[in-house]
Amino acid sequence: MKHIQDIGKDKDLLLGLAKNDGKSLEIIYSENFPVVLRMILQHNGSEDDAKDVFQEAIIVLYEKVCGGDFTLTSRLKTFLYSVCRHLWLKKLQSNHGLYALPVELEEIIPATDVIDEHEAKDEQYKIMEHAMGSLGQPCKTILEDYYLHKKSMQEIAEKFGYTNSENAKTQKYKCLMRLKKIFFDKYNTSL
Amino acid sequence: MKEDLFLISEIERYLEGEMTVQEKAAFDELRRTNPQINRQVEEHQLLLQELDHMGRRQQLQAQMDAIHGELDMSALRMEAMEANQAAKRTRIRRRTITNLAAAACIALVTSLSTIAILQNNSRNKSTAQYEDVRRVLNNIQRSQNALINDIKDKNKAPVNPGTYGGTGFAVSGNGYIVTNLHVVAGADSIYVQNTKGEAFKAVSVFEDISSDLAVLKIADSTFKGQPLPYALKPQSITLGEEVFTMGYPRDEIVYGKGYISAKTGFNGDTTAYQVSIPVNPGNSGGPLLDAKGDIVGIITGKQTTADGIAFAVKSAHLKRLLDEMPKDKQPKKEWSHKSKLDGLSRVDQIKKVEEFVYLVKVYN
Repeated sequence: MKHIQDIGKDKDLLLGLAKNDGKSLEIIYSENFPVVLRMILQHNGSEDDAKDVFQEAIIVLYEKVCGGDFTLTSRLKTFLYSVCRHLWLKKLQSNHGLYALPVELEEIIPATDVIDEHEAKDEQYKIMEHAMGSLGQPCKTILEDYYLHKKSMQEIAEKFGYTNSENAKTQKYKCLMRLKKIFFDKYNTSL
Repeated sequence: MKEDLFLISEIERYLEGEMTVQEKAAFDELRRTNPQINRQVEEHQLLLQELDHMGRRQQLQAQMDAIHGELDMSALRMEAMEANQAAKRTRIRRRTITNLAAAACIALVTSLSTIAILQNNSRNKSTAQYEDVRRVLNNIQRSQNALINDIKDKNKAPVNPGTYGGTGFAVSGNGYIVTNLHVVAGADSIYVQNTKGEAFKAVSVFEDISSDLAVLKIADSTFKGQPLPYALKPQSITLGEEVFTMGYPRDEIVYGKGYISAKTGFNGDTTAYQVSIPVNPGNSGGPLLDAKGDIVGIITGKQTTADGIAFAVKSAHLKRLLDEMPKDKQPKKEWSHKSKLDGLSRVDQIKKVEEFVYLVKVYN
């Protein structure tokens, strides 16, 4: 019974996470981070490693939740713990050539699929981040303001001193074209 | 350049749903007919999607960093350290317990196998302690035998003294002899020889493994029967009763005297007596007689680990064996008469009995 209740509570938290509810994120974060911190510290990691790994796991979770095809089959804690373990194992393997994490008799679910999926998305994310980074100002800010912060063209025109929103719009299209070029140059070669 | 700009603004309007119905239909048509434009649209969609993704991820990252900043890291650190310490302790304890369990298992297996081996050994030893007292004849006597054969030209017994030797005694006047089965087991041919040196060919006519007894019949026509001087006493006799035996541990008949020392045989075998009497290889199958000259048992073996302890099959089993024999083979019943040895001195008893005690020689 308790197990089912826990999963129910976890599902509520995930719904909150999908809606970008800060409170849900905070609960998930503060409830699960200590366990992961403990695990990473136990396996030759630092606090920063723990933070990186855990945040990556949250991103994995977030992407899954936003993708909409995610159903929680285990407790959220177990899921996050498993993902963190796999991520850390990967990191250890690539960094130090260490292969064997000591096997522990804790509840673990296979998370390789989730992580492989995440890695593909992470790749795209990095390409986009790189493209945005190499875009330069003011293009980057215009695009961010319009597409991410959902500001109107009017506001953007005022902010950047364009005479009217049409000019700003033209500028935005130019920026978008450049971004598109940079992004797809990299995207198509990397695929 | 201008066209590209126009196209991108059109795509933007199309995707954001700012087009009118007619414009949208026209654009859909354009997408369908012009694959290049279609591709542009798809790329644009992907781009925006990725851009959006990046934005959300950055936002999430920022949120998380904020949350992380609010965490009481030093407390968490302490907690994690302590938990890890505890985990290490339990792990060590668990490892110790596992090791102890493994050691215990090994100890258990070792002790069990030791017990098994010891038991097995003791069983082997106990069989080794028991020895059939049949004799492996050696070649030294060959010349003597040859000499006897020369004198008694009637004697058809082979010169070879045989492979094994034991003792047998007559159970009827017409040539039936009882001996131990282990004396004649696996025999190709059997010869019996009496104290006068006369040898006769014999055949085994009945054998019983459980009581280790065999009945031989003298098959030689030269054999002449005589009435038996002794009787069979099937009743159990009392502890300490004086008994004597005669047998052929050598080629000469040997007299031995002793007493019943236990009513069971080796390892509690109820079909036999334990007899305190000197016996040697060759005594197997010899008669055990009580002071009145009645047959009370048949010598079968001795204990190797102790001196003077011999075992004898009880005469009741001999009686049963003779009764069980097929009718056509049965010896004449001559047990009904009273022993003719009662009241005689031992020397006279021996004189009468020795003629009916045979050296059994076995060839194989």
